[in-house]
Amino acid sequence: MPSRSDDHRWSQQHLSHYVEGDLGPRARRRLDDHALDCVDCGRGIRAMRALVYAAQGLDGLAGVRAPATIFDRVRPAGAGGGSPSSPNT
Amino acid sequence: MPPLAAQRAPGSTDTEAALIARAQAGDAGAFERLSGAYADRLFMLLLRLLGDRGEAEDVAQEVMLRAWRAIARFRGQSSYFTWLYRIAVNEANRALEKRGRRPAAAPLGPDELQLPAPAAEDPARQAENSELRRALGRALAGLPPALRTAIVLRDVEGLSTQQAAEIAGVSQAAFKSRLHQARLRVRAAIGDQTLVTAGG
Repeated sequence: MPSRSDDHRWSQQHLSHYVEGDLGPRARRRLDDHALDCVDCGRGIRAMRALVYAAQGLDGLAGVRAPATIFDRVRPAGAGGGSPSSPNT
Repeated sequence: MPPLAAQRAPGSTDTEAALIARAQAGDAGAFERLSGAYADRLFMLLLRLLGDRGEAEDVAQEVMLRAWRAIARFRGQSSYFTWLYRIAVNEANRALEKRGRRPAAAPLGPDELQLPAPAAEDPARQAENSELRRALGRALAGLPPALRTAIVLRDVEGLSTQQAAEIAGVSQAAFKSRLHQARLRVRAAIGDQTLVTAGG
């Protein structure tokens, strides 16, 4: 049977798996049981959830536009006969 | 987040398949319409991976050129978006290797990206969220490219594990391993207290 310190190390390494839903039922129960009595791991779960939530909030598509020059290297190639390579090349 | 292809169709009259066929036949205009639908999002991805606007602009041009040159070999085994994103990730990693450095240490935050300020009920909360975004930007900037790519594709872009793994060019298991490593490093860099306080 793993010791409490084993459980703690293991739980700390698997917080992302936990939040992602990547733990099987037994592993999830192991972490749940440990986090009930461990302030650090309970906070770690909340921190990992906050991290994922914050990362999702970084998506700023509405505010960023690609530069108008993005096709500049395609245009001379297309105009100058540099069309796509033929299939199976 | 819905699939990108569902967010913005390449054109009102041409289907994506028709534009691909025309681009494969050498129609550069069709290629621009096809790829232009994803240009903003692709540029944002490059900004996140490279951390430098000028470099992102240069690489974005290179991505489009490589996609144009290779489109005749596109077989539709993945979505066009996935194919284009994979070229972008490869080019970003190539640029980072070429310059022999990690992404710029200075993170690109809302100010640098000129993003609109997020709506917030009270100034204190807004300040906490803003600080968390800056801390997250700094932590992402400090990650090795492979780990940074994983967290950007999965958490920031909101792609499925399957799609993100395909873009990164690794198995789903390998991708998950990178993602978990990346999150642990970012968590350590920011600190639980900051995350929990700002995350509510």
